[in-house]
Amino acid sequence: MNISYLQVVMVLGTLMCVLGVILCIRTARTRFDVEPARKEVNIGIAHVPAMLFARLVALVALIVLPAGAVFLANYHVFEGVHEVRGCASCHVMLPMVNDMKDPASGTLAARHYKNRWIAEDQCYHCHSDYGLGGSLEAKMTGFRHLARYTTRTYHEPIDARVRFDNKNCFNCHEGTPRFEAVQSHATAHAKLVANEMICLNCHGQAHPTSVQRTPGSSDYARLMEAFK
Amino acid sequence: MRLLRWEAMCASVAFLLTLIFILVPGPYPMAIFTFIAQPLFAIVAVGYLLKVRADLRKRGL
Repeated sequence: MNISYLQVVMVLGTLMCVLGVILCIRTARTRFDVEPARKEVNIGIAHVPAMLFARLVALVALIVLPAGAVFLANYHVFEGVHEVRGCASCHVMLPMVNDMKDPASGTLAARHYKNRWIAEDQCYHCHSDYGLGGSLEAKMTGFRHLARYTTRTYHEPIDARVRFDNKNCFNCHEGTPRFEAVQSHATAHAKLVANEMICLNCHGQAHPTSVQRTPGSSDYARLMEAFK
Repeated sequence: MRLLRWEAMCASVAFLLTLIFILVPGPYPMAIFTFIAQPLFAIVAVGYLLKVRADLRKRGL
């Protein structure tokens, strides 16, 4: 049986949150300054004083389970950004995703997709700084994007304010015979590593241009339609 | 230790918001979890720890 991370997160997360709510309701109704009527509680393996049990329940409800739920949900955030559908769930990203899946498109993303150079999680492979192992700056940028998208404080076409890190390309291409065979890669290597020169300078547009992604442009309607 | 009523109520709300994000992931539930539920959990933890500290001091521990 093949169990995905999503199923594990959903089951564990649901259990933690439901249990958390139940224990919180119990904690909210407990008076810690009044001795309870029952002196002891049977927890299966031992009898513990009722007040100690209530304090343990409060600790679990307010510290242990929240820590677990926050960990799981954050894991969900950082794993969720791996999937193309995670990116496509924000409509401003649809032009990029639809263009990538368009066999007639010649953008760098579309060429990687149609030639199966990247088998899955195509967005994440080129923008891996957003993931758990990426830089703090990329995560802060991700949170800023999330805040601006959900508060609708953005304008289309969106433009990336961060500089693309060539490391994302090097992860797959550096050291391969095809990469090494190109003389200009060796010549510009230091500049590429320092991000003083970007791979796109020679390898073309990665996604549709901002003019194409501007609402009202001739390409906009096509780019916003889901490509089957 | 006195009552932990508001801490428990805030934690319940945060758990429900987290549950929504876990079951129906999307940009809006993600934003609600990130910018509301998480800070709420942090406020709850601080409130709880302050009350535990005050309780321990009262007992002279």
